[in-house]
Amino acid sequence: MRILHDVEEIDAAKRRVHVRDLKSGKSRWESYGQLLIATGAAPICPDLPGADAVDICGVNTLASGMEIRSRLDKGNIKRAVVVGGGYIGLEMAEALVMNGLEVSLISRPPQVMGTLDEDMGALVSQALRDVGVTLYLDEELTEFETKAGKVTGIVTDKRNLPADIVILGLGVRPNTALAAAAGIPLGEKGSIRVNERMETGTPGIWAAGDCAESFHLISRRPFYVALGTVANRQGRVAGINLGGGYATFPGVTGTAVTKICHVEVARTGLQEQEIAALGLEHVSAVIKSRTRAGYYPGSGDITVKLLAERGSGRLLGGQIVGMEGSAKRIDTVATALQAGFTVEEMINLDLGYAPPFSPVWDPVVTAARAVAKKL
Amino acid sequence: MPKERLVVIGGDAAGMSAASQAKRRRPELEIVVFERGPHTSYSA
Repeated sequence: MRILHDVEEIDAAKRRVHVRDLKSGKSRWESYGQLLIATGAAPICPDLPGADAVDICGVNTLASGMEIRSRLDKGNIKRAVVVGGGYIGLEMAEALVMNGLEVSLISRPPQVMGTLDEDMGALVSQALRDVGVTLYLDEELTEFETKAGKVTGIVTDKRNLPADIVILGLGVRPNTALAAAAGIPLGEKGSIRVNERMETGTPGIWAAGDCAESFHLISRRPFYVALGTVANRQGRVAGINLGGGYATFPGVTGTAVTKICHVEVARTGLQEQEIAALGLEHVSAVIKSRTRAGYYPGSGDITVKLLAERGSGRLLGGQIVGMEGSAKRIDTVATALQAGFTVEEMINLDLGYAPPFSPVWDPVVTAARAVAKKL
Repeated sequence: MPKERLVVIGGDAAGMSAASQAKRRRPELEIVVFERGPHTSYSA
């Protein structure tokens, strides 16, 4: 293990990498038999005036999180602007609210959580407002205001907002410049193209994690997703193969969970616009239920949306927003999706029930029933 | 099949999962992980 060592070049023909020791500044060539590229992804930073100012933070590593923590601990930071309404934006908004900051969130799309359909995204927007986050939807960041190299605010196409700290949650890009320079073929969104065993198109070179491409099991198309779950699974598969075994990574259904304070958010599969883009027709249902039996203490609201192919009833996706106990119910949906179940088959799932855990019909099954009626 | 020396670029979730799997299966394999940052495996 060599930390603070930066690989600057891959020489695929000679099977060697050029490494710089960041402490000493010295560099050297290191040879390999097999090479695994696991370079991750980096936050997207908009190319706008003032973007290089202090207190504008992307957050995707332990170091960047610690950096934000230390800035907050200095105590002179009161107003935060979060740019982007995805997972990072939501989770950072929550963290900043809990630290007593005045938090605004701006989003270029007219809804937060673009991986949810509009109706479910609206529930998340409400949850953000309920915890005191000021939302500015359908607004585009145009400039960072700075003073002496430090951020003092942001400008959108509609307003100016003062800020002591700006958090960027605009998504990530795979770190693949190194691979591209070595001539390794890239795929979806610039991620490294791999086969099911996580081998790239260049002999002896493998890739896994946020820098590597995935495959979407429902759309049956190449797909890019940067999540720790996928990184661990791809890494495992690459490692088994590199250790002389045989393993494959079939792909993902696009499952993800997050929360904003007390409200949990989950999604899997295809959302309406993705289904339409594939030329499929769907039916959907949104149901409201409870996380536990309605009379049981601690029972909370849960909203479940399921989408299925019109006619066949094949499950295509699901989204959940609700109180504690909601998010992980998406795993039932994700499993049914990966198994290729129809909503009729979902209705027959033998799920666990007792009042402390669920209504007698689990909310995801209630949603499956509602969709089945419309087929 | 993979032989000699395995070099891994990146010491977080994917890189370390792969390195540990490979080492478990082939203890004799020499594995070197280069990580640009000061931390490793924090999300693994």
